[in-house]
Amino acid sequence: MQIDARRYGLWDLVKLPLQAGPGAAILTGLNSLLSGIVPTLHVVVTASFIDTAIAVLQGSAERSEIYSRLFAVVALIAYSWVSGSAAKLARTKLGLALQEHYHTAITEKRARLHYRHIEDPESWDLISRVTSRPEGQLSDGYNLLLSMAALIFRVLGVLGILISQVWWAAVVIILLSVPLFALAVKSGKASYEASKETEKYRRKSSYLSSILTSRETVDERSLFGYGDPINEMWHERYETARKIEHRVRRKWFIRTKIGSLITAFLSVLIVVVLLNPVLAGDLSIGLFMSLVVATFSLVQMMSWGLGSYVDQLAKFREYLKDLTKFAMLEESDSAQMLPADPAPEFQSLDFKNVSFKYPGMEKYVLRNLSLRMEAGKHYAFVGVNGSGKTTITKLIAGLYDNYSGEILLNGKNLREWDPAELKAMLSIVNQDFAKYYITVRDNIALGDVNHIESDSDWRVNRAIDQVGLAAAVEKLPQGIHTPLGKIKADGQDVSGGEWQRIAMARAIANPAPLRILDEPTAALDPVSESELYQEFERISRGKTTIFISHRLGSTKLADEIFVIDEGRVLEQGTHQELMALNGEYARMYESQRSWYN
Amino acid sequence: MKARPKTQPKTRISLTAIVWRIFKMVIKACPIYFTATCLIGVIHGLSWGLNTYATQFFFDAVATAVTSQTELTMVYLGLLALGGVTVGSQVLNGVHNFMAGALYGLVPGHLVKHIHHKAARIEPICYESPDLLDDINKAEKGAGSSLGLLIVVVVLLTFYLPYFVFMGWYLYRLKPILLLSLVFIFIPVFITQLIRGAVHARLEDESAPLRREVDYYERCICDREYFKETRLLGAYRFFRDLYLTALKAMQQKKWNVELKTNLMEIGMRMLTLAGYFGVLYLLFTALMNGEISIGSFAAVFGSIELMFGIMEEIVANHIGGMTRDLATVRNFIRFLDLPERSGDTERVSFDGGIKFTDVSFAYPGSETKALDHVNLTIRPGETIAIVGQNGAGKSTLVKLLTGLYLPTEGTVEIGGVDSRRISPESIYKGITGVFQKYQRYKLTLQENVQISDLQAQDENHLDAAVAKADLELDQETFPQGYETMLSREFDGVDLSGGQWQRVALARGFYRVHDLIVLDEPTAAIDPLEETRIYHKFAELSKEKTAIIVTHRLGSAKIADRIVVMDQGRIVAVGTHEQLMQEQGKYAEMYQAQAQWYAG
Repeated sequence: MQIDARRYGLWDLVKLPLQAGPGAAILTGLNSLLSGIVPTLHVVVTASFIDTAIAVLQGSAERSEIYSRLFAVVALIAYSWVSGSAAKLARTKLGLALQEHYHTAITEKRARLHYRHIEDPESWDLISRVTSRPEGQLSDGYNLLLSMAALIFRVLGVLGILISQVWWAAVVIILLSVPLFALAVKSGKASYEASKETEKYRRKSSYLSSILTSRETVDERSLFGYGDPINEMWHERYETARKIEHRVRRKWFIRTKIGSLITAFLSVLIVVVLLNPVLAGDLSIGLFMSLVVATFSLVQMMSWGLGSYVDQLAKFREYLKDLTKFAMLEESDSAQMLPADPAPEFQSLDFKNVSFKYPGMEKYVLRNLSLRMEAGKHYAFVGVNGSGKTTITKLIAGLYDNYSGEILLNGKNLREWDPAELKAMLSIVNQDFAKYYITVRDNIALGDVNHIESDSDWRVNRAIDQVGLAAAVEKLPQGIHTPLGKIKADGQDVSGGEWQRIAMARAIANPAPLRILDEPTAALDPVSESELYQEFERISRGKTTIFISHRLGSTKLADEIFVIDEGRVLEQGTHQELMALNGEYARMYESQRSWYN
Repeated sequence: MKARPKTQPKTRISLTAIVWRIFKMVIKACPIYFTATCLIGVIHGLSWGLNTYATQFFFDAVATAVTSQTELTMVYLGLLALGGVTVGSQVLNGVHNFMAGALYGLVPGHLVKHIHHKAARIEPICYESPDLLDDINKAEKGAGSSLGLLIVVVVLLTFYLPYFVFMGWYLYRLKPILLLSLVFIFIPVFITQLIRGAVHARLEDESAPLRREVDYYERCICDREYFKETRLLGAYRFFRDLYLTALKAMQQKKWNVELKTNLMEIGMRMLTLAGYFGVLYLLFTALMNGEISIGSFAAVFGSIELMFGIMEEIVANHIGGMTRDLATVRNFIRFLDLPERSGDTERVSFDGGIKFTDVSFAYPGSETKALDHVNLTIRPGETIAIVGQNGAGKSTLVKLLTGLYLPTEGTVEIGGVDSRRISPESIYKGITGVFQKYQRYKLTLQENVQISDLQAQDENHLDAAVAKADLELDQETFPQGYETMLSREFDGVDLSGGQWQRVALARGFYRVHDLIVLDEPTAAIDPLEETRIYHKFAELSKEKTAIIVTHRLGSAKIADRIVVMDQGRIVAVGTHEQLMQEQGKYAEMYQAQAQWYAG
């Protein structure tokens, strides 16, 4: 199954389950439809049972005649009991099938998305909405449609018997049902809109609640003693949301109950209508009784069923709208590609008047930025937070391509590069590098994903040695095959510093010719950071490296330093040159150095 | 008094105790509403029973009318009764459900308020213990479930019980042996659900780790945290394979569970069915023997299915849900029972300074001491820098000297008073701080600053604090001035790291204080800014007692005295010059850092 870029409608609530698990979907469907018909049969069978019983009592029938009727009643009851359990099994199977096919398809689509959707808060919200328990959404939707169909069958069945007895009563009922249905639709919509409105208040109040209980805020909360006043503020917002919901619910209840009162009157009406034929002997007592029971139990069904079905249907419509939007989100072709093997050679990288802003943002992050890097050298980007250093690396990696100006890799326009080749070109250790909860070996071997299966343990071990992790890995119970994190039962926790080194080892295991270190060390003290950078540079001899930092001590060994400010290159040169220039770099450097004089 | 949560055993609280506790809380929160809901429930339950009775009455009237062709008034009377009861029970049904639903909105507000209230009073150290943290996280869920629990109990007692009592009475009157039918209905359903619950819970436990794996690998593919790196590494296929393998294993397990429990359920249903048939047979023979009327037969026959349905609903949904919820509700109650820190309310004067006497401290569940026999005296008005490498115990020391944590051994005296003896509020009274992980509250600018001292709502003071922190209120960054919401999520603005830093500083300054702590709030900030902040801080805290924590030794020079920490101990105390002369750890670290800026 695949999520195609198309419109998704109610019909897909049926189509997708049928695609994912045809057997289970058909079985569930069949059962639901039968459960709509069974009540009608029930009416007929019960009627004949009661009539025969009366006949036996009056002596106009043999006692043996009753047993076949009793058996029919018993069989019908037995069927609805056992089929319920069997249907549950089929529903489970369908849920599993949907999880396997539909959920996986959603996940794949998500993995193919263009990177900008991941960083854009709005589309990320959409993605989160669509991807949370998608199989549940679909199977709930399918079941809802089936329940609605069953209800309709059930009503039609009872109506059918009525028509055969007193046809005009059925017509009256149908006519009266139309406004009833309209009422249900209307209240369903209203309650959906109200839940949207209160969402905002709910989010605010749940945020305050998190301030009041979370671990992150405990220090300030205790010291500043804001617990009680913020608690009051929380309760106020909570109540605001609750009161809105309360009002809507009241309306909804009144509407629904008016509906069921009408149905109740209707039932009484039906009974009155049926009284004459039964008294006249045109309608048997048995059929009369079972019809009465059936109509009154319909009241119960309709009173809640209709309103809440319509209510839920509105929600599924909304989900399908979201799904359509999600399916239409742009993908990037390179998403699932493996890096090219062997990795291409790196010659040079040019930024020519590159300007860039994040989608949906006003402010340019890069403004007419130009720089050139060549193979085999060590580069450093320095600058204050927010100057655009990290953005440059995102552009190099091809995560964004909506920039203006030109980026030339080996003299060829970056946009024209084969994505697999580009992927193989660079390895990055980010500030927020990934901590994969898999084995140490896999964590590092992922750097060279083309050879992850082959016997690359020596490469992993070499990388471990190079980043100084050997002693720490030795201590782990299963060495490099120890799973990390708390996902596997025997997973081990390692310290933040060790994670950093694992991330570096991953970059080292990566055969890419261009290596970028984007402040993975922000939480380290300056000495440790500088040492780590120096070490990394030593290991990366022969490769091209880019170091990013705001601490100048760690970057001063670079062959060329770019001082980035407000999205452009303010100064560039070696440490000595920049110091001699006596500009921004010198000022920053002096300021940091001043502490040590 | 002091509490050591790590040794507290997880006690099991009985169901009745839990229900009683919640009942008291709910009654206190909304006495009238709750009582009214219960009363309506009783009437609602009776109305259902009455329905069966009215049906019988009506059917009998019809049957008599048909056979003897008389007494039409009874028929219409019966119909009137049946219609009336139906309409009445529909209205009651609406009102009852509405009120019960409204309670679900009303009550959690009050219960969660209890949680917040409690969270403000338990010891901060509790948040370091994984077990307790788990309790805290689940407590909120428990607050929601506890109303559910209470409502189930209440509905069982006020709605279902009256209904079944009525039906029992009705059946008994009809024919005493029919009372057995209730037992027939009840027992198999109950046993089924009990076994099902147990089996399900056990097998569920087994598949939980697999589900965690599946969820995790999915996150590796497409969660924000991993997205970029997984894509750039080309690791999609690697994680997809892991994901699919784990998914298959999980599905297999889940299917086995479902198959087993459902087959068992079908088996058990057969038993119930046998019970059903038994009742039917009883009814049938009673009818044949003329013991009951045709009307009562039809009425009972019609309502047996309803009774079965209701019984299953009670056991499967309510009792099943109740046992599920019980665990989180226990968490909730346990959380509310956590020991609070209390003590004498006293005015603490910082003229007494701060004194550590042989203080040791270990985090709950940890063997190693984060602080190891520390002795230190801080004089009022002094500026002290605490330096050392990551993990040397700097932040822990700060937590003890602000009274947030209490020592495991030894005493900490703040303003001459033992921090264990006085109430935390009294200690915190004159203390403010900016911590390493200062909070970025999604509130307005004003609230973000004033949150440090909500009692002192003072505009001038606010201006002063903002000015001290060099926070410029320019139109572009703060379009609504103080009222600007600092969060995009709530239709406000996003601040840069540097701006947040200043907001945090303003927050620290806003609180009236004698002691101010700066615990490395500069970790992620650029050097120019950092330099500026430390200078500014030194200047602002001239008359106050000030503590600076840093791993950058250069910044420590502005302090009157520097405390050098290493592995939980204080290894040296002195001025920069003294420490440099000592040629100890400090000088060693200093030179290591300075060399990066040499030449």
